[in-house]
Amino acid sequence: MKNRRACVLAITASVLLHAQGLPVTNDRLLHADKEPGNWLMYSGTYNSWRFSSLDQINQGNVKNLHVKWLFQGRHNEKFETTPLVVDGIMYLTRPENDIYALDAETGRVVWVYSYRNPERTYNCCGRVNRGLAILGKTLYMNTLDMHLVAVDAKSGRELWKTGIHDYAADDGYAATGAPLIVKDKVIVGMAGGEHPVSGFLDAYDARTGKLAWRFHTIPQPGEANFGTWAGDSWKTGGVTTWNTGSYDPDTNTVFWGTSNPWPDYNRDERGPGDNLYSCSVVALDADTGKLKWHFQFTPSDTHDWDSTQVPVLIDAELRGRPRKLMAWANRNGFFYLLDRLNGEFQFAKPFVRQTWNKGFDDKGRPDIIPGNDPTPEGNDKIQPGVDGGANWMPNSYSPITRLMYVFARDERRMFTKNTIRHGNDDDTVPGPGAVRAPGNTNGMFGNGGNLPGGGGGRGRPARFAPEESWGKVIAVDPLTGTIRWEYRVLTPPWGGVTSTAGNLVFGGTQEGVIFALDARTGERLWYFAGNDRVYASPMTYLANGKQYMSLAVGDVIATFGLD
Amino acid sequence: MRKLIGFSCAIALAAAQTPADGPSTAPLFSKNCAYCHGSRGEGGRGADLTTGIYNHGGSDADLFKTIRNGIPGAMPAVAITDTEVWKLVAFVRKLGSAGIGEKAVGDAGAGKAIFEGKGHCATCHSIGLIGGTVGPDLADVGRRRSLAYLTESLVRPEADVPIRYRAVEVVLKNGGTVTGIRLNEDDISIQLRDTSDNLRSFTKENIQDIRHDKPALMPVYGAILSGKELDDVVAYLNSLRGEQ
Repeated sequence: MKNRRACVLAITASVLLHAQGLPVTNDRLLHADKEPGNWLMYSGTYNSWRFSSLDQINQGNVKNLHVKWLFQGRHNEKFETTPLVVDGIMYLTRPENDIYALDAETGRVVWVYSYRNPERTYNCCGRVNRGLAILGKTLYMNTLDMHLVAVDAKSGRELWKTGIHDYAADDGYAATGAPLIVKDKVIVGMAGGEHPVSGFLDAYDARTGKLAWRFHTIPQPGEANFGTWAGDSWKTGGVTTWNTGSYDPDTNTVFWGTSNPWPDYNRDERGPGDNLYSCSVVALDADTGKLKWHFQFTPSDTHDWDSTQVPVLIDAELRGRPRKLMAWANRNGFFYLLDRLNGEFQFAKPFVRQTWNKGFDDKGRPDIIPGNDPTPEGNDKIQPGVDGGANWMPNSYSPITRLMYVFARDERRMFTKNTIRHGNDDDTVPGPGAVRAPGNTNGMFGNGGNLPGGGGGRGRPARFAPEESWGKVIAVDPLTGTIRWEYRVLTPPWGGVTSTAGNLVFGGTQEGVIFALDARTGERLWYFAGNDRVYASPMTYLANGKQYMSLAVGDVIATFGLD
Repeated sequence: MRKLIGFSCAIALAAAQTPADGPSTAPLFSKNCAYCHGSRGEGGRGADLTTGIYNHGGSDADLFKTIRNGIPGAMPAVAITDTEVWKLVAFVRKLGSAGIGEKAVGDAGAGKAIFEGKGHCATCHSIGLIGGTVGPDLADVGRRRSLAYLTESLVRPEADVPIRYRAVEVVLKNGGTVTGIRLNEDDISIQLRDTSDNLRSFTKENIQDIRHDKPALMPVYGAILSGKELDDVVAYLNSLRGEQ
């Protein structure tokens, strides 16, 4: 106990030393782990551990955790944001593309920036946004109509906005992820893999908004791996970059996951090739955007098994050698470990029920089991489900337990082979821009739970009995793939997890149960009945020297503290 | 401007067409609608489409508009052709009117007596405000359900139990069991309506097991009623058309 108090004092002192407010320099971003009182980027740190060394809230006192304040979003859309906190100010995105600055101790609004999207946008799965990036005194946000906006963090004034792409082209682009700052650039992904788009990852000058580089996620004519698409299918092959990546400053490499090839559930026109770089991780030079290496998790996918999960970067000794590694709980149901210097496959093990893969060759290529493709009438024998064993929800790695925490989806669903439409074949058909997620209209149970129709996605056949599908937080030893413990929840989740030095793992369920687990055993130590769906990931910070934990539930940011 | 013209054409086209169901519509519904409205249109996240009551208008044009454009903040539009939308209009309408036009062979008056007497049906089923709530309300079941469906429900009740009426049995750590239908559940607790129509709530720390292996609470009436009596009950149910 004495040691814990000493640790708390040291951390508090460290935070006070760093209590510089703005600007948030590159150096501060590089050493974000040294400022545990702040949350400076989407995943907390560049290695995307979503781990906080704060331990005021810990396994011994978490039972006393209670609500300190609520931010009322008053919106119908899913609340997917992870707030940033810089020295007592919380910055968050509220759907669709508003930015709120709050007093992190009370939740009182300091300023609001509102961005107006066109009435029709082309997001597949809700008019959502997952968060901000900050550099200097500027906040950066992607918008549904494909702009990157720079906003003054002190006043909320718009400094500039730059167009990423014509949002209405090719049946529709959108940008929903949180940008990533690397040096003097803002790295920005894009969405639209449910439409015949052509994917890319962009870097913009953080000061001017000028495009610095663009990496095409589908090789262009003359580039390596161009021949992995049949005919002209490469032109409309999807492969988007809709979540956030990670950065390794030692090698100046950006790692980013890519989405499904288009059409999602039908490879008839894409041919038998691998459709690179779909369902992959790409390693790019941060200065130039040049490809260093790629690793494809699911070749020529027909299950919408995006690989847009956030890469988790771990340095550890493996087979007697210190290694720079990348751990990845993939939507296809397998937990992978790669060498992040070259993409070399180390191993992959299933972390949910799976039916499609017999095993891997030494390069990590899966040995596909026949009969696992979608069919026009619907194939209900495939696992994981259409929303995957993992999805976009971030995982967490604790350097204390050396375990990676994954909030997994273990479910059975129907896969239906779709017909292929090119562009607006029928101009009278509203594009997916007319699609609005159901928001808080949650059906009979109000909470979107593992009962009729709960959960995300759209246009999918009804899911099977609740007893056939569930969610689980698992603690995986990333060096072996061994699952150390499992905490099962009623419904496949849509929220991520965060771990802390207080030996805790925080998360929230589709029924709104916000929980704290013992990071070593998975035992639930605390819960709060939020009673609305959690579509976001927790974060933790200090305000006035006290630790808080925040998580979006329903249209509310709920913030918890001890006293 | 091109899009405006396109939209106008769509309205004109929509007005010129009428709903026409066909064998291809079930997969269309399954693909675009069933995730929220249930595989048989019984509802869930979305509205129950078997009631024949449509919150956003019940005319063919209203249904077309709802499916075509969606409901802002509640229901997505679907990216299908106008012809396909019309097929869905017909399909949805049929979901809410399968019994219309069918003629039952039994005696509805005798069936009513069995329903209220020997069958004890009203213990669980209400007709309007009279009767129990453990089973579905039957006030308009004769319009919504075909004769074949009604007959099967009596002789094989587990064949199609709307998910909100599926039976659960809660086995308590103290040895007790409670059977009913699940009203709500999360990782902390479960809420039931028990077979005596009482609302019950249990925290999971007091629960040994939650069993789902007997989906229907309803008795198998093939073993209780004669063939003639079954026909009479079906005739009575078919006569229940609601207030339309």
